[in-house]
Amino acid sequence: MLKTRVIPCLQLIGESLVKTVKFKNPAYIGDPINTVRIFNELEVDELCFLDIRASEEGREPPFEILQQISNECFMPLSYGGGVKDFETAKKIFSIGFEKIVINTQAFHQLDFITQLSTHFGAQAVVASIDAKKNFFGKYSVFINDGTQKIDLDVVEWAKKLEQAGAGEILITSMDREGTWSGFDIELTKKISQAVGVPVIANGGAGSVGDIEEVVKKGEASAVCLGSMVVFQQKGMGVLVSFPDKKKLREVLK
Amino acid sequence: MNDVITIIDYGMGNLGSIQNMFKRIKVESEITGDIEKIKRSTKILLPGVGAFDAAMERIAEKGLKEVLDKKALEEKIPVMGICLGMQLLTRSSEEGKLPGLGWLQADTLKFNLPNPSLKIPHMGWNYVHGKNPGLLIENLPADPQFYFVHSYHVQCHNPNDVLTTTQYGIEFHSIIQHQNIYGAQFHPEKSHKFGMKIFENFARL
Amino acid sequence: MTEGITTGQEKNPLVERINGKQICTRCIYDESIPAIKFDEKGVCNYCHMVDSLIEEYHTGKPEGEKIIQKIIEKIKADGKGKKYDCVIGLSGGTDSSYMVYWALQNGLRPLAVHYDNTWNTAIATENIRKVLSKLNVDLFTLVVNNKEADDIFRSFFLADVPEIEASTDLALAETMYRAANKYKVKYVLEGHSFIAEGISPLGKNYFDGKYIKSIHKKFGSMPMKTYPLMTFSKFIKWTTIKRIQKIRPLWYIQYSKEEARAFLEKEFGWEYYGGHHLENRMTAFNHSYYFPEKFHIDYRNNSLSASVRSGQMKRSDALEEYYNTSPYLEPELVAYFKKRLGFTDESFNAIMKRPPKYWYEYPTYKKRFELLRPFFYLLMKSHLVPRSFYMKYCFPIE
Repeated sequence: MLKTRVIPCLQLIGESLVKTVKFKNPAYIGDPINTVRIFNELEVDELCFLDIRASEEGREPPFEILQQISNECFMPLSYGGGVKDFETAKKIFSIGFEKIVINTQAFHQLDFITQLSTHFGAQAVVASIDAKKNFFGKYSVFINDGTQKIDLDVVEWAKKLEQAGAGEILITSMDREGTWSGFDIELTKKISQAVGVPVIANGGAGSVGDIEEVVKKGEASAVCLGSMVVFQQKGMGVLVSFPDKKKLREVLK
Repeated sequence: MNDVITIIDYGMGNLGSIQNMFKRIKVESEITGDIEKIKRSTKILLPGVGAFDAAMERIAEKGLKEVLDKKALEEKIPVMGICLGMQLLTRSSEEGKLPGLGWLQADTLKFNLPNPSLKIPHMGWNYVHGKNPGLLIENLPADPQFYFVHSYHVQCHNPNDVLTTTQYGIEFHSIIQHQNIYGAQFHPEKSHKFGMKIFENFARL
Repeated sequence: MTEGITTGQEKNPLVERINGKQICTRCIYDESIPAIKFDEKGVCNYCHMVDSLIEEYHTGKPEGEKIIQKIIEKIKADGKGKKYDCVIGLSGGTDSSYMVYWALQNGLRPLAVHYDNTWNTAIATENIRKVLSKLNVDLFTLVVNNKEADDIFRSFFLADVPEIEASTDLALAETMYRAANKYKVKYVLEGHSFIAEGISPLGKNYFDGKYIKSIHKKFGSMPMKTYPLMTFSKFIKWTTIKRIQKIRPLWYIQYSKEEARAFLEKEFGWEYYGGHHLENRMTAFNHSYYFPEKFHIDYRNNSLSASVRSGQMKRSDALEEYYNTSPYLEPELVAYFKKRLGFTDESFNAIMKRPPKYWYEYPTYKKRFELLRPFFYLLMKSHLVPRSFYMKYCFPIE
């Protein structure tokens, strides 16, 4: 049967690999190429790179690094961060990436999703939503690396993105990110039940148990891991790793 | 030592990644859409990403159908189609209206899965199960699994042509072979050590 | 096997030669090793140094065990009320990995420390992960910005000097001190074993903070912002003011690298990288290519001699390996080095062909260390600097 995808999600700021907590305080993790080599040796199934400041800083994606990453990897790669137009997306695909992740630009121009999906196929387009719980327990949507709140209901927005042609929805909990406290099951489930496309849960993974929970209870089709793959433990030093594959296989049966 | 693998460039598919993997396993490969070069080839890889009709149109536009037919059916050199490339080997596809290359007794069908939790496309890593032996699948690492992305699947009419099947709602044919014609539904170039072994075996044929 | 061995009573002393060079009758060091001397039995002074260290530290004997137990008690006492009582530097290699296990067996509460020079391989990070997760030990890491690390490596390559790994070694030492200081820990445990590793030849290789700074100033192009440079004042701060001690348990206890490795493999699923330093690509490049090709140094004689001295290997086998095989070079390693540091084949080859330069051609702290010898003698007596540091840094090198 199809394996549940467990995807290391690596944050870039330009050419450096970093990791944030709740979208703040990026800590330096290391050289992206060497880190990719380690994941290659660990034979992870898929990698996702997000340049978290590209949109906010009005920057282009770091094409040179992406090319080097693509040359090193023999598994599917996705990239997100500052992709605003068709030419940029085309360039990223030609570098060798399978999927593009769009967040901010989808809000400014929803038919950009449609354009990409029609030309490259829906399976190549991942729509990303960053959400934070407000005081009343309702979810608000943010763009520009979590700095700008927009007035949309998170479930309605997910549906719109699916209708526009997104092949997958990446849902990130801003509250949980970097905290090792487990995924936001409620948020993930809300989205999974509202759309027909696969939903990737992101933000808060701390253990294999968390992964199991968000897949079984949150109905996620895939999960992203952030802090778990770059730190030894919560609050401790940098160490690139991946959860034990046997253990994962057991819980995700 | 090995032949040079001719990777057919008809404008669809990520040829760089494929060539990259051949480089990694130290097999020489050449990306080309040039009829003369294809005429001289001794081993062909037919890639493909996208829609069936668009691919068949491109192949016709570039005038490649004749030379490909000759290499595959007359000269019978080893030819492998991957992903959409495997589907092009069949007679027809439910995705489009145009006929395929028709090099084996097989057709391409849409995934029709009653279970709503099984989403289309079939996307991600899945396992292959051996049905018939073949040089292409010799000595694969334990627990062979590959990266798939497709909404349509191939059905061979001759069960001897099926080397492996894969489970996704139904049991579909994931690796096929008929004499010198080979097909793999997944992306070997994205399936790290497993894909490398498939390419290695193909290079050694 | 090897040709040209002539043994005989030339004059009185026993002299054994290989390819015309005199070699030690006990280990496999030959006359080309800097500062080497042979006695009447043909045994070299490095073997004698190991012998005298064993005598002084009672290595592997009950007295040695007693001494280290006393030190352990002191570490525990000083660590009361603190989160950790000692700090252990980890590279992913055998000795340091074993140290962590040994520390826990003896009731200590260590913090593992790693300096990531961004050239690690998955073997190293996986070994670190396996050992620490099974033993439930916390990890402190300092990761240098990869561009800064590369800038320093490039500077050393451009400077034609052998100490291309100096920046990593010194940074690990500084990182361990910083971690110890952060958690108010007074003891740094080092997995150095003079029996397992031998005594490295004195003379041609040397490094300190000023040396690194000088090379970087001349050939580097990026300011050092994340790189943890140990300046002289920092060194004095850690040793004299913070009084952080350096302890080397393997100098006292019975230890065999081969047995340790077998144990780690069995207990933790630890993976051996084959003695080819493949835990870090810069180390691998250094030992497999840079040293042999540019400086005509084959450092395998160091660990091979150590294995022979400790009885782990037959001398004839060591000679066979050393003279009849070359250091293993991972394919693609040199290409990776060139690509990452931005050298074309031409520029790389040109630099490799240039004549070597040595540390005494650049500014260092060496003279200062020599002048302050009495002061460092006292520090050594209090375990604040290792004995090997005192011997190597505070005495002039011929």
